Amino acid sequence: MIKVEQVYKTYINKHRNFLFFSETRQTEAVCGVDLYVNPGEIVGLLGMNGAGKTTLIKMMSTLLSPTSGTITIDGMDVVKDALKVKSIVNMIAGGERMLYFRLTGRQNLEYFGNLYGLRGSLLKDRINYLLSKVGLEKAADTPVERYSKGMKQRLQIARGLINDPKYLFLDEPTLGLDVSVAKRLREFVQELVHREGKGIVLTSHYLEEIEELCDRVYIANNGRIIMHDTPKNLVFNITHGNVLNIVVPEINDKLNNNLRTLIELHNANIEISSNEEGILISIKSKKDITTEVVQTIYNSNVNLISLYIEKPKLEDAILQLENGVA
Amino acid sequence: MKNLMTIFMAEFKKSHFLYFHTNMIYFSLLVWPIILFFSAYYSFKPFDTKSENVLSEYVSNQEIGSFLLIGYLGYIFYFSLMQSAFQMAPERARGTLELIFLSPVSRLAVIYGRAMANLLEGVWLFFVFTVLGLFFFGDIQPHNWWGIPLSLFLLIISAVVWGGFLNAIFLFSRDAGFFFLIIQEPLLLFSGVRIPIPVLPIWGKFISYLFPLSYVLLIYREIVMRGASLFEVSTMIYSLLVVIIVFILLTSWIIRKAEKNSKINGSMALY
Repeated sequence: MIKVEQVYKTYINKHRNFLFFSETRQTEAVCGVDLYVNPGEIVGLLGMNGAGKTTLIKMMSTLLSPTSGTITIDGMDVVKDALKVKSIVNMIAGGERMLYFRLTGRQNLEYFGNLYGLRGSLLKDRINYLLSKVGLEKAADTPVERYSKGMKQRLQIARGLINDPKYLFLDEPTLGLDVSVAKRLREFVQELVHREGKGIVLTSHYLEEIEELCDRVYIANNGRIIMHDTPKNLVFNITHGNVLNIVVPEINDKLNNNLRTLIELHNANIEISSNEEGILISIKSKKDITTEVVQTIYNSNVNLISLYIEKPKLEDAILQLENGVA
Repeated sequence: MKNLMTIFMAEFKKSHFLYFHTNMIYFSLLVWPIILFFSAYYSFKPFDTKSENVLSEYVSNQEIGSFLLIGYLGYIFYFSLMQSAFQMAPERARGTLELIFLSPVSRLAVIYGRAMANLLEGVWLFFVFTVLGLFFFGDIQPHNWWGIPLSLFLLIISAVVWGGFLNAIFLFSRDAGFFFLIIQEPLLLFSGVRIPIPVLPIWGKFISYLFPLSYVLLIYREIVMRGASLFEVSTMIYSLLVVIIVFILLTSWIIRKAEKNSKINGSMALY
């Protein structure tokens, strides 16, 4: 289990002003973060740019040390037992870096496998297994510089799995990939978790990806975790549930009064506007009150032109958080 | 030991495919040092080394060819490792340096494996040229043939240690390129590549003995050109070993410090 307890990270960097003059600047990237990741689950890390997601991932993967607080992975401290931790974690970042372009896919995997002490038939078998898993068997002996973006990203995934890590950090793994390749990668990530029991920390700007893959999500802002829950609960809690949209030709006094009573009863919000079809009534409620609303319209002798339910997505929730609505 | 060999072979293969991928590179690795050698040789020619010239006390007119060939052989060994250290910059830029440090691999093994791989790829052509040059035109003492492999061994070891040191410096700073530019000319001038160290003033001699190359060239020339015995060069060999140990300790310290620094300010990812 990955356990992050009261972790702070402050970068101290020199900022050059002019000629030989410089000043030291402190940037608080992570402030008092607590989180945990169990093996066999995918945990999402969401936040705006500069929220501290990559810093957190780098600290968990031993590349950065926390300024204070502790991070343990299966009981091993990432600072004191860094070498032991390194053998059970790996990181995959999006984009086209982190590969040797003049080497073939196989040569890249051989090199990175060697760094983890793998060699001989063990390494060969592992490489063949991973290449087939990411669908690169045919391109295995082609230099990476001739790969498409999707192929490079798939090779990155294979590279990140070369040491069969127990915990994997995925930092924007589908960045810039087309829809079908991204979908295949998501399926593969699910397989890693559900079949192989790996613990995965995922950051992504594609919120649908987080919603689809993650068991739990942490939302970071300015280096702090401001919310933590399942994607479904987060959406529900932030956006206050579904939006029921009803179009009617008119609103009489009876309907108006009945709807207001219903809204008050369920602590919901109502917005009335007009569109091409008629009058649009949008009701936002934590509880599903579709039946009651339809019944009220019927009892008020008003015809119903159309009805549809808008289910908010994680993206809506994050936007609301950003706008300070929540 | 098996792990060290694995890392060495991994670095060797990687360097080969990354930096030595065309025959033109090998061609340039032969032509460039030969041009350097002839440029130095013909620079000496117009100067009088026969009579009371201070240089003639240490290198006779007949010995200039051999003297320079050995000097440039050593210099090319060391210089090729400077080039290998420069390749740390692309490692940073492509993010692979961070991946190396993400793994539990021995950092010293990577650094020395990398240096050794680049050395062997970078110098073998000029080495063949030098051996042939010494054989056909040099004044080698026949009874000291054993000295050639010994000197070569010392040259390789010291060059790899030097290369490891330079690679480690590049770990420390992405702007280390300036250091190499500063060190390149003093290495050529003070380590006895073109000018015998005894000719240098005291302060120059002091700088000379900071470079392991100075000791190797002295040993090499004493054995190959003057026919010195192992006993006669033993002091120099011991001095070289001390310098090598100091450089290994320094390299190890720099790597640890660089990794620690990088963990504090994330500098390994900057390029």
